[in-house]
Amino acid sequence: MSEWLESAIARAQGINDWLAPKRAHALELLANTKWPTRKTEAWRYTPLRPVERTQAKVITDKVELLPVAIAGLSAIELVFVNGQFDQTQLTKTLPEGVSISLGSDLDTAQQTEALHTFSTIKPERHIFGLVNDALAQDVVVVTVAEGVEVTQPIRISSLLSQGAESHTRVQVTLAAGSRLTVIEDVQAQGDSFNTAFVEYKVAANASLEHYRFALQTGSNVSIGGSHFSLHDHAKMHSTLVGFGSELSRLDTDIIHAGEFADAKLNAMYLLDGKELFDLHATVEHAMPNGKTEENVRCIVADRSRAIFNGRIHIHRDAQKTLAELNNRNLLLSDKAEINTKPELEIYADDVKCAHGATVAQIDKQALYYLQTRGVSRSKAQVMLNFGFINELIDLMPNAALAEWIRPIIRERFAQMEVK
Amino acid sequence: MTEQIDKALAREYEAGFVSDIESETFEPGLNENIIQRISAMKGEPEWMLEWRLSAFREWLAMEEPEWALVDYAKIDFQSISYYSAPKSMKDKPKSLDEVDPELLRTYEKLGIPLIEQQMLAGIAVDAVFDSVSVVTTFREKLEEAGVIFCPISEAVHKYPDLVKKYIGSVVPKKDNYYAALNCAVFTDGSFVYIPKGTRCPMELSTYFRINEQNTGQFERTLIIADEGSHVSYLEGCTAPQRDENQLHAAVVELVALDNAEIKYSTVQNWYPGDENGKGGIYNFVTKRGICHTNAKISWTQVETGSSVTWKYPSCILKGDNSVGEFYSVALTRGRQQADTGTKMIHIGKNTKSTIISKGISAGRSNNSYRGLVRMNPGAEGARNFTQCDSLLIGDQCGAHTFPYVESRNPSAIIEHEATTSKVSDEQMFLCRQRGLDPEKAVSMIVNGFCKEVFKELPMEFAVEAGKLLEISLEGSVG
Repeated sequence: MSEWLESAIARAQGINDWLAPKRAHALELLANTKWPTRKTEAWRYTPLRPVERTQAKVITDKVELLPVAIAGLSAIELVFVNGQFDQTQLTKTLPEGVSISLGSDLDTAQQTEALHTFSTIKPERHIFGLVNDALAQDVVVVTVAEGVEVTQPIRISSLLSQGAESHTRVQVTLAAGSRLTVIEDVQAQGDSFNTAFVEYKVAANASLEHYRFALQTGSNVSIGGSHFSLHDHAKMHSTLVGFGSELSRLDTDIIHAGEFADAKLNAMYLLDGKELFDLHATVEHAMPNGKTEENVRCIVADRSRAIFNGRIHIHRDAQKTLAELNNRNLLLSDKAEINTKPELEIYADDVKCAHGATVAQIDKQALYYLQTRGVSRSKAQVMLNFGFINELIDLMPNAALAEWIRPIIRERFAQMEVK
Repeated sequence: MTEQIDKALAREYEAGFVSDIESETFEPGLNENIIQRISAMKGEPEWMLEWRLSAFREWLAMEEPEWALVDYAKIDFQSISYYSAPKSMKDKPKSLDEVDPELLRTYEKLGIPLIEQQMLAGIAVDAVFDSVSVVTTFREKLEEAGVIFCPISEAVHKYPDLVKKYIGSVVPKKDNYYAALNCAVFTDGSFVYIPKGTRCPMELSTYFRINEQNTGQFERTLIIADEGSHVSYLEGCTAPQRDENQLHAAVVELVALDNAEIKYSTVQNWYPGDENGKGGIYNFVTKRGICHTNAKISWTQVETGSSVTWKYPSCILKGDNSVGEFYSVALTRGRQQADTGTKMIHIGKNTKSTIISKGISAGRSNNSYRGLVRMNPGAEGARNFTQCDSLLIGDQCGAHTFPYVESRNPSAIIEHEATTSKVSDEQMFLCRQRGLDPEKAVSMIVNGFCKEVFKELPMEFAVEAGKLLEISLEGSVG
């Protein structure tokens, strides 16, 4: 066990609040969990040295931090500053049928429900999910009532100041037939460390549009997860955009807990410098007739390292499942590294599953073609890289977000040192 | 005739044993003393014993691997006897009547001649003698070409320099748990050396190697193809083989020097256990080859037997322009579990690898492909293509794919694709419409599914492999 984890456990032991049973359970599991090493499958390519060495500290003093503005987007703002839920920044008037509250403000019955409804984070796979269980200051509970279609997106921002440590946790429940858009966003300054987990329960016929932006770069350790459970005829469409940092690790876990659920995941990450980004996407088909489509694209430059693990697990009962995973990677430098592992684990016979993965560099002929048309080599490279990613941006259902992210990505490519 | 049999019997004694065979079956247990005794039995030189002992010490500190998707009762390594002398004639079944009729039925379906059937079932008859004479002519021809093909225990004495130089050079002693165990206790296996620029005049087969019977559970094979040479090696046979040893931990090392080519084909059909998976063979094999400049290694395997298979024939593409290939058909049924695949490590420039893996699961079996493709920073212009297809027959089985793709060179190109599906209703409908019964139809579709791999097998093997699949699939349909 690492010193860091020992001190984290020691800190959690003193807390006595409504989350106490959850904390105690997490601590018990953590005590029996081995600290991940290179031999731990889930952390094979992602060394945890940055966590072991982190100097980040919990900052309790009030700090003024605001989430970056997104032009054309009017969202319900849900803001954490250094791990604390900032009530003052919460949008005052919420649309009808939407409630956002701190778990500690709920009544006992609601708290009990909040403690027990969500169990999508698998302790054996997510050691930092347990850390988050033990250390998150509170849980923010978001609910959308039955049949309510919320047009205004909810944006969950986790903001960290220099050297801050933060652990945030949100539970989102979409009742039957409801509709919601959620944007998860971490904005962290240097030398910070955060774990940010959001759990979603998408009830029958409900529909969730989801975005996760992990655009922090530099000396930041960011570990988090978005965990979804989908019930009968539920739909989700998730988009992930990631830039690497010293260590960025995200888990997207999707469970088809009902029949005829439909999940789409489009993820793209663009790494530069010495950044590392690790995405683990796990889809469990526990029920029949589910559908999953994943598109993951990744560009790595300079000395950066990208890790992707895409696991599709089809249980015995999940007949008639359609699942597809497409992973394409561009390697721009001879010091960069891509490690990808698309896995299929299938126990039902009447299913159609496929995955494909490619690793290559920019097509030399395409590059040559552009150069013959008078485009400089470096411009041509930016164009081709951008085109590769832009295909996924075009699939983002929210136009304002697509328009916002496009120039940011273009800028990122212009900065990337392409050899 | 009796005289001839006596002669054949005497041969067994010639294979380097120092003491009376009949009495030599070691008590169960594994310690340095046992290893010293194995080494002494083989009259091995000091260096070989030292090598075994150091491997054993490494093994003691190692942990049994648990990452494979297989589930079996823990092996008690102290309850195994690590040396058992060949069975003497009188312990063997006297005639085919004493042999499991189920086994005979399968032999018949495979079209195996009576004499071979008797040999495979381990019957003490002249058939053994017949094959010995075949072997003799066979050996003469090889000697003419300068090819060395002998038991590895013999090679230790006759060609110590070659053995010393190459043994453990591809699969190091502490490579993995079972490889280390094999290093410590291996009993015998093949040694092949093809001299420079030589094309081996015939396909080498373990089947023809004297001493093949009872090489035991810890077999060790070392094949060295010197510069510009070529060899095709066949291992195993399609007929189900009985074996009293439950644990098999073999090591195969291939060395392809500059411009050499090795083609290694395996058909494995060991006892898969009864319908509950009891008593089947555990097959934990380490197979690896190293390719020097312009060399090529091609692995082809048809795996239908064993209750647990753990096997990853791999290529280290060290030299520039070297080529690695892996073609595999793995069929599991009943309670069989197979975790098999390959590793392609690209080190040299312009190295190329192709992986075609076909997994078929039926009954209550689990079949996994586990593979690694790694492009090292120096693998300029390297190329890999991987295709893993799985076919599910029945709703109680599992098919899994775990490909690891690691690239550190931007000019390398890796393509991986995998699909999993069942035999489609349309295909079945088409076949049945034309009057084929469901079993025939499935067998035909499966054969088509595996065609890409079968065409890589030597002619004779390919025909048998097709038949083998057909028989293995019996009863899994409908």
